[in-house]
Amino acid sequence: MTAPIRELGFAEAIREALAIAMAEDERVFVMGEDVGVYGGAFQVTGDLVQRFGEDRVVDTPISELGGAGVAVGAALTGLKPVFELQFSDFSTLAMEQIVNQAAKLRYMLGGSVSVPLVVRMPTGSGLGGAAQHSQSLEAWFAHVPGLKVVEPTTPYDAKGLLLAAIDDPDPVIFFEHKLLYKTKGPVPEGRYVVPLDRAETRRAGRDLTIVAAGVMAQKALDAATILASEGIEAEVIDPRVLRPLDMATVARSVTRTSRLLIVYEGAKSFGIGAEIAAAIAEGEAFGHLDAPILRLGGAETPIPYSPALERAAVPQVEDIVAAARRLARGEA
Amino acid sequence: MAVEVILPRVDMDMETGKVSRWHAAEGEAVAKGQLLFEIETAKAAMDIEAPASGTLRGVAAREGDELPVGAIVGWICNDGEAPPARAAAAPVGSAVAAPAGPVKVLGDSTPTSLPAARGATATPKARRLAREAGLDVASLAGSGPQGRVQALDVERARGVGAAKSGAPRAHGEWLRRGAGPPFVFLHGFGAELGVWKPLVQRLDPSRGALALDMPGHGLSPPPPDDVTLDALVAAVEAALAAEGVARFHLVGHSLGGAVAAMLAARLGERVFSLTLVAPAGLGPEIDGAFMDGFLRATSVASLRPWLRRLARDPETLGAGLAEATLKRRAERGLGPGQARIAAALMPDGVQAIDVRPALAAFGGPARVVFGAEDAIIPPRHAVGLPGAVAVHVLAGVGHNPQLEARAEMARILSDQAAAGDARVR
Amino acid sequence: MTAARAEDAPPVAVANRPAIYDRVGAGGLREALRRMHLIRRFEETAEDFYVRGKSYGTMHLSIGQEATAVGVCAALGDSDYVTSTHRGHGHCIAKGAEVGRMFAEFLGRETGYCRGRGGSMHIADPAKGNLGANGIVGGGIPIAVGAALSAKRLRTGAVVASFFGDGANNEGAFHESLNIASLWKLPVLFVCENNQYGMSVAFARSTAVASVADRAAAYSMPGVTVDGNDFAAVAAAAFEAADRARRGGGPTLVECKTYRTRGHSRSDRNRYRTKDEIEAWKARDPIERFERELSALGVATAADAASLREAVEREIADGVAFAEASPAPSTAELMRDVHTPAAAAPR
Repeated sequence: MTAPIRELGFAEAIREALAIAMAEDERVFVMGEDVGVYGGAFQVTGDLVQRFGEDRVVDTPISELGGAGVAVGAALTGLKPVFELQFSDFSTLAMEQIVNQAAKLRYMLGGSVSVPLVVRMPTGSGLGGAAQHSQSLEAWFAHVPGLKVVEPTTPYDAKGLLLAAIDDPDPVIFFEHKLLYKTKGPVPEGRYVVPLDRAETRRAGRDLTIVAAGVMAQKALDAATILASEGIEAEVIDPRVLRPLDMATVARSVTRTSRLLIVYEGAKSFGIGAEIAAAIAEGEAFGHLDAPILRLGGAETPIPYSPALERAAVPQVEDIVAAARRLARGEA
Repeated sequence: MAVEVILPRVDMDMETGKVSRWHAAEGEAVAKGQLLFEIETAKAAMDIEAPASGTLRGVAAREGDELPVGAIVGWICNDGEAPPARAAAAPVGSAVAAPAGPVKVLGDSTPTSLPAARGATATPKARRLAREAGLDVASLAGSGPQGRVQALDVERARGVGAAKSGAPRAHGEWLRRGAGPPFVFLHGFGAELGVWKPLVQRLDPSRGALALDMPGHGLSPPPPDDVTLDALVAAVEAALAAEGVARFHLVGHSLGGAVAAMLAARLGERVFSLTLVAPAGLGPEIDGAFMDGFLRATSVASLRPWLRRLARDPETLGAGLAEATLKRRAERGLGPGQARIAAALMPDGVQAIDVRPALAAFGGPARVVFGAEDAIIPPRHAVGLPGAVAVHVLAGVGHNPQLEARAEMARILSDQAAAGDARVR
Repeated sequence: MTAARAEDAPPVAVANRPAIYDRVGAGGLREALRRMHLIRRFEETAEDFYVRGKSYGTMHLSIGQEATAVGVCAALGDSDYVTSTHRGHGHCIAKGAEVGRMFAEFLGRETGYCRGRGGSMHIADPAKGNLGANGIVGGGIPIAVGAALSAKRLRTGAVVASFFGDGANNEGAFHESLNIASLWKLPVLFVCENNQYGMSVAFARSTAVASVADRAAAYSMPGVTVDGNDFAAVAAAAFEAADRARRGGGPTLVECKTYRTRGHSRSDRNRYRTKDEIEAWKARDPIERFERELSALGVATAADAASLREAVEREIADGVAFAEASPAPSTAELMRDVHTPAAAAPR
């Protein structure tokens, strides 16, 4: 309970979770492209290969589909793989195994098997990766029954959620926003888990509710600080887990604030925001809404390369401030 | 033994098929595998082979007949064998019946654009509040975009918290949602709404509990520069209006007790019962050293000794109170606002407010609860109150009965709720 | 496969006897014949269900391919794994499944192998090492490699046979899987059932190499082509590949040339092949051939074969009766097994 708490980077927190899980359980192993001596495309696996050896930190060929399938097969037969895709964009190559196989095997086979698989993938824009290295595809996976979809915001949650994901008997898709890798925060030593079904209220407020995950939760908090100086108190809820989504926490908040803004990086239409907005509109919180629900999502475009364009294509702090202001002032 | 010839299913979605052509006639010899008949489905035509060698007998489908999948269309018999006597399946009908009435095309009755604005639009919350208040939203002037009626417009029309729409609104949190008139809790100086949580856990779970942060405390906005007791009352009233709380049981502690007494006098019968816990405003004395020390403390070490004065057994206040207080104060910059409240309402260590007249004016069930060992406000302030006000002085309890004597407080509030509800009925 | 009756087998004429028969044993050979008949009759009965509209969805029959399924599984034990295909009934029976629970699955009943959630295309029997049929062409191949990785890492000594059709040899999953398995020396038998057609497209019209086994060279593993309708040839190749895998020698690609005498699925109108071709393959029926051979070798007399067929008929009839008497799943349990229930989840 009283493990010492240090400041740790987001990537280090993930690596620490992997190391704890691997040290505790021989069945846990890491596989993916360049996860070994290279240390992972974003240096997340780092020195794990030196600590656990090449049998447990396995460099795969550049074979996303084959690698994903090997991970599914290993998970079916007694191992607990953590499969890293270098970019979430590359999940398109592995989709068959993730969506048709991993997500469905347990159900399709009447409960006689389970697939304890974690697929980690860096997501999002902000590093000039352009259209094929910057997408936010969370909603694709969140649409698939049988998968759980996680997206941490803080190093604390990254570690605790990843340990929970590895413990979980079913496939979990673990999104890591690239801009968060270098962020730091307090992380206790040793094992702890953050449950895979609970949102976190990152800031309390009375005037409106902002729901945002990952780097967008960070931006929403920055926006809330600016808003507070104008007398607008925004409540910021970080879902942490997009499937299953903790709508009860969002609904309770909206019941108090009467206003809801959802911020996400993926393209605005048919995204996370639509699901949250619809769930509120369908539920008891509807009668407490005193303004339309607003969504701030990514532009309906591939992510462009040029920095100014790239920035313009996804919600920024000032966009959140402007939208929240309109909502709180009854102008929306 | 005769082998049956059936109309086979040849497509996943096939339910019926039409025998389009026979390649053998009744009584004709056929060989296994020979083309026997053709069928037509909605998708395509298909050849069907004889399932056995023998003589075709008992042909039960004419060309053009539509039959359900699995229907027997004939038999292949050995020499001299007769087909089993079994009723042939009735044809489904040679044509699909035409639907009665005009065919409805999907979506053709759904307008693609909204009709011209008809009457007022209103938010869901405004509609709900209007319905509860018996108001017609169409009769209200909307202050929202395109004249949309918002909750504020309904509150104005209902006269709740109306006048002070510009007044800062206290932050509130429903510690519990429930039916009927809820409890409304107001905390004391330097505290915040969370102080009520342990007590609320012991209350009737079916009744709602709304706790408010006083201005300058918790998540509420800072008090105005020229803060008065009335300004605190107005902030509370605005919060109640925003939460849509019209009738309720009011509970206030210390400074919140003084605010509660004033509010009860203002709202009259809308306050079903009034419970003041170690209230301020009943006499001049207060522990001025505590007020100064509390406001000046910048570290756990300098704050903790002062907090010990709050209860006879400081353990009842919970661990980490000093840390939490300092953290909140730093994060929200609460210090200056609280100092203004202390300077305005309790200057020089003296209570400059008097709520005795307000308490006397309140006609509903009213009680005052003190701890006999209260080190902040002397319990003797409860002496000399109007006769209808019940007074409890709890032995072995300090300034925070809601934490130090939770069971007694829960019983007192339960009695108050029963008395208040009964009186209104 | 058990060799329970090996000791009471009559002696066999040595001259024509395939060497692998000594390893399978007389009891094993009779059991293989029984399983081939069981597959044939299962498929015919399933077809009958279908044409009468008693079953639901579609199905893919392996009539004509029985020797491949049974020949490969002859080299496997219960702790070895298989991954299967959409044409998977035969693999399932060859790996030891009960036909009653298979029929029940086929009819969507709660007693089926997948509690009625999977149907014909997903029958699995993990207890017997069958990781499941698969509705995606090539879907099971990388999964087999993963199972082999587990076997190697956990040192279980198991091998994995991955069945797939000729159509799958042009899928990316096939190529990625062969490369990974060879690279990591994993114990996999890649078993291509080359039945000549990927749905309607003939092998030569879809594949740039003359035979699937040629692909093995690209991944530095042995590749062999055998007559998939000849039990002895298939079993010999499977035993050799399994031996090699168990020794740590890595994977083998075994191509079994065979033929499905029925269409791709029941909606197939057979427009892409001729009656003559179908008849020619029917003349090479793997079961008749195997039965003749066992009779000639004195392993199973005509009387043995007849009583074996009778037993298969009874097993099929009992299986159908069991399935038809079984309850449908409750709609109240629609959500069951989407995720592992929290209480049942092992850490």
